Amino acid sequence: MKPGSGFSQKIVIVGVLVLIVGVLAVLSREFLTITNLTNVTRQVAFVVITGSAVTLLMISGNFDLSIGSILGLTGMFSAFFVSAGLPLWLSLIASTLIGTATGLLNGVMVVLLKIPSIIATLGTMYAARGLALVITGGNSIHLGLGPHFTLLGRGFLGPLPIMLVITLVILAIFFFIESKTILGKYSFAIGGNKRTALLSGINVGAIVILLYVLVGTLAGFSGTLMASRLGVGQAMVGQGFEFDVIVAIILGGTSLEGGEGSVFGMLIGAFIVGFIANGLNLLGIHSFYQSILKGAVLVGAVLLDRAFKERIKG
Amino acid sequence: MNENILEARHLAKSYPGVQALQDVSLDIRQNTVHCIVGENGAGKSTFIKILTCAEERTSGQIFYKGREYRPRSIREAMNEGISTLFQELTVVNQLTVEQNLTLGREKSWCGVLRKPDPVEGVFRFLRDFAPDISLQAKVSSLSYAEKQVLEIVKAFGVEANLIIMDEPTAALSEQETKRLFSVIRDLKNRQITVIYISHILDDIFSIGDYVTVFRDGRVISTSKVTEIGKEDLIRMMIGKAVNENYVPRPVDQAQKVLEVRDLATDKLRNISFDLHRGEIIGFYGLRGAGKSEIGYALYGLDVVKAGTIRIKGRLARFALPKDSLRRGIAMIPEERLSEGIIPKLPIRSNISITNLRKLATLGVVSAKLERQTAEKYARLMSIKARSIEQRAATLSGGNQQKVVVSKCLNAESRILIMDEPTRGIDVGAKEEIHKIIRDLAGQGVAIMIFSSEYPEIVNLCDRIFLLSEGEIVKVLDNMDADAEQIMHLITKGRRNKGEA
Repeated sequence: MKPGSGFSQKIVIVGVLVLIVGVLAVLSREFLTITNLTNVTRQVAFVVITGSAVTLLMISGNFDLSIGSILGLTGMFSAFFVSAGLPLWLSLIASTLIGTATGLLNGVMVVLLKIPSIIATLGTMYAARGLALVITGGNSIHLGLGPHFTLLGRGFLGPLPIMLVITLVILAIFFFIESKTILGKYSFAIGGNKRTALLSGINVGAIVILLYVLVGTLAGFSGTLMASRLGVGQAMVGQGFEFDVIVAIILGGTSLEGGEGSVFGMLIGAFIVGFIANGLNLLGIHSFYQSILKGAVLVGAVLLDRAFKERIKG
Repeated sequence: MNENILEARHLAKSYPGVQALQDVSLDIRQNTVHCIVGENGAGKSTFIKILTCAEERTSGQIFYKGREYRPRSIREAMNEGISTLFQELTVVNQLTVEQNLTLGREKSWCGVLRKPDPVEGVFRFLRDFAPDISLQAKVSSLSYAEKQVLEIVKAFGVEANLIIMDEPTAALSEQETKRLFSVIRDLKNRQITVIYISHILDDIFSIGDYVTVFRDGRVISTSKVTEIGKEDLIRMMIGKAVNENYVPRPVDQAQKVLEVRDLATDKLRNISFDLHRGEIIGFYGLRGAGKSEIGYALYGLDVVKAGTIRIKGRLARFALPKDSLRRGIAMIPEERLSEGIIPKLPIRSNISITNLRKLATLGVVSAKLERQTAEKYARLMSIKARSIEQRAATLSGGNQQKVVVSKCLNAESRILIMDEPTRGIDVGAKEEIHKIIRDLAGQGVAIMIFSSEYPEIVNLCDRIFLLSEGEIVKVLDNMDADAEQIMHLITKGRRNKGEA
């Protein structure tokens, strides 16, 4: 990692993660077991997969609140398609593409209709959730899914969970996009200064739409994985998921104004949130308290980060 | 009355890399209209910002009503009775006239608003000045001039003794200007002193008592308006207005790279000119004359309503800046920080951004090529930085501008549009940028310069286009340029504007 690309931020966030792991390892014997860590990784995987694309989007200075609803919608559709007799692979592709289309809709609203991204994706968030409810009539789809439906979510590839392999592949792709490609560099430029980016000959609108499409696609893919993991298609899955992703990204040092951030930071942020929730479960602390702690960690991490940055400057 | 309401002594203000004010000493007499003139960047605005505490001075003293004056906030300056009428009006459109006049000084019982006293001074003042503005009118329904009057009335409401007006007539029609002048005369009768900043010399002779000329951050002179002529003022404003640094270049008239005919946009009319290989042409005019707008039209930012643009004889149409860049036109925008650079990113990324495709295969950027490109330009432009990884935000103005020039060259541009290429850059770096511009022209790049600094235009450009109100009013060869005539031409026409 080069200096100037948020190196200090990455040290801080990794430090926080190590601290949390250390404390939890001391407090709970079960924490540092393979079973438990695999378990956390599975839970965090959804945030990481979708978050990879959302990080780039937020680096470009845009926002997406609709990912949780997209997750619910596409998960429902993947079960719906399979129960309607579509082959598994086709239903996977089709439901992921529904996520892609939703992302395109978001991009068009934000770029072409010039609706502020929070409003546009808030609209999508409600509409997509509603659509999922309308199609299922509020019921869950679990009949006629067949034995292979849960393969992606629960299966193993050799010793590794398939979910883990998928997550690693997607992470690798986005590490690469972020640091090595035109798309990655343009995202930083647009978030850093949209006007300059436009004057530098970047087709800002097209790039932002592309980023929304990527986010929609990965949220859609996460939805089908989630349905596979749960073994059921349910319209209400993924409520609050958007905030889990955004919290992970912000913990990871991505600036809300854009221009700064990293997929790596998001990954660490996702694990911080995941470990805290897991650790508190192991310690037998009620989930109500977990929510309080999650909020405190978010605000605390941002303050810590700022204090650290100011010390470096001064 | 001969008392000074305000005395400035040895004021100085420096920014990193820029000495905006140097040794400014100035007396403002009570009950006068004191005009301040100077070109853009001469230090007028900085002086005003220090008076109103929008900026902190680096050194020097100000005495106000005989006492040392050192406000810590804009609020405190207002409480002292110094009020400013900025070019961007600060009235709140969504509120009524009455609400605007009492904004921040509302009377209440424990937070519950009380009806304002209708005979309160500020309302009486409004009736005197503008009887046709109703207290209950929504401010959004008022004209610009009426809003300005409202702003003056508001200043009176905070019991201002000194009102500073920054280019107050810039957006006014002739009739509105006359009304503003009568308001200003009336202010004098009410024991209010006015500091009046303007480009428009005619205004100064109609309304001013004293005039101070600023140039390059210094006070050149202060005199009674009745004792000075327009020509003297112009001479003092632009200083050594000779083209002593101009080196005539042999321009090959056969190699026409850009031909613009009858170009029109919302802000421009009938713009026609040719640009040749290796030529530098300059566009000179006041703020709002349409300099930047020509750049916007050629750079795919403003919609071209009529006319044609030909590059090397081929018709061109631009919908986005990327289209212009592809045809070899690059623009160095006026606002370096908000349009030129991406402050958070390193020099390397700022330079490579215009032509990443060249450095990439299938969308994957070669880190090595990117570094080499940035290093090449950093060397070529002698950008002073620790390394190409330094964030652009931390560079001095001159070095930032070199980064912007680099990114334009990286796009392999043969036509460079430079909008105020040395604004806010200190004198030494200015010379360096000018040298870069001449060198580029020497290498065959065709350059258009928009500048409001006359010496810059006359020292660089082979031909000079004078702009006024969105039209080219005259074209001069460098050798025929005459400062006084030019100032006459570009300030003319300003007053012939009716209510649109």
